[in-house]
Amino acid sequence: MTWLGDWLRELILVVLMAAFVEMLLPGKSMERYARLVLSLLVLLTMLSPVVSLLKGDAAKELSVALVQQEQRGGLLRGAGRGAGTLEQILADGRMLAAGAKEQSLQLAAEEVAGQMQEQVAGSTGLQGVKVTVKLGLGLASGLGGEEVPVITGVTVSLPAASGTGPNSGTEAGAGTGAEPIRVEPVVPVQVQIGESEGGAAREATAGAAGGVNGGQDAGAADVAATAEGIIRMLETSWNLERGIIQVAGNPADTGKS
Amino acid sequence: MEIIQVVGIGLLSTVLILVLKEQKPMFAFLLTTAAGILIFLFLIGKIGTILGTLERVAESSGMEMIYIKTVFKIIGISYIAEFGAQIVRDAGQESIASKIELAGKVLIMVLAVPIISIIIETVMKLLPA
Repeated sequence: MTWLGDWLRELILVVLMAAFVEMLLPGKSMERYARLVLSLLVLLTMLSPVVSLLKGDAAKELSVALVQQEQRGGLLRGAGRGAGTLEQILADGRMLAAGAKEQSLQLAAEEVAGQMQEQVAGSTGLQGVKVTVKLGLGLASGLGGEEVPVITGVTVSLPAASGTGPNSGTEAGAGTGAEPIRVEPVVPVQVQIGESEGGAAREATAGAAGGVNGGQDAGAADVAATAEGIIRMLETSWNLERGIIQVAGNPADTGKS
Repeated sequence: MEIIQVVGIGLLSTVLILVLKEQKPMFAFLLTTAAGILIFLFLIGKIGTILGTLERVAESSGMEMIYIKTVFKIIGISYIAEFGAQIVRDAGQESIASKIELAGKVLIMVLAVPIISIIIETVMKLLPA
């Protein structure tokens, strides 16, 4: 029912504005003509739900028509020349088609990203993973050189919880002296660090907290393994090349250096 | 108190024009035009305030900006055409003044063409083939 409210509000505003503008007009001679255009605007606003059902957004249609009118060389020349030459019409058509293609690519990219997100969440169990997909047009070999949408880039952003571990891990990984950190669940773990380093690492992977001080390397490796798993899964299920998949928050780089 | 300034300019220029008209009609016309432009420039800021308010209200209420743009174009065309026609009429060229008015009317009608076409197309789609 929100559309009804929006429509009513817009209608009331247009009618009010028309009444106001009519008073603003300088002389009587223009009044009839201005009133005609204003009443047409009111009519268009009244019909806008029907127009949006049949043709698309009424306001967008109007703005496209006005822009085309201006592009034909201003109001006077645009009116004189009529519909324009065939080349102009074809160029306009190509422009509109390109716009529509871009829009559909964007929609498809969002759809694919949503599916990938579900897959990643299902396979890794990680919540809050964000997937961004870039779609481009490429020539398909099997379809006689026709342009088809191709995935040109996939970016997977892992949630912050799994990304915090590796950042602090670079500092603490070398020194096994292990100062206590601020995260509270660490406190019972700290006791085990004194006994053996390996034990702490095992604790970190088992707890899957990613913030355990002594087990930073193990946490980083864990996230790296997750990233590797995501990349491999996307590679196989979407038939993608490895180079175009990027996992943000991937600790593999920091772990190696 | 701006109205006093406007009326002052108008009265002063009228007296001067009446004096000049006998001696130098050409200068009288120039003075008429200058006084007209001066008053118009004086008012243009006020018109801008009104239009700015309209635009702000429309923007805040989520109204489509294309409607506002069309309305502003109508106002602009009618002001400029009316102003030009009056200057020419003052110079005694009634026929040219009416041509300027005609141009203004045609240009306002041209603005209606896209709106009419959208409405007609919608109605034609509603009708059974």
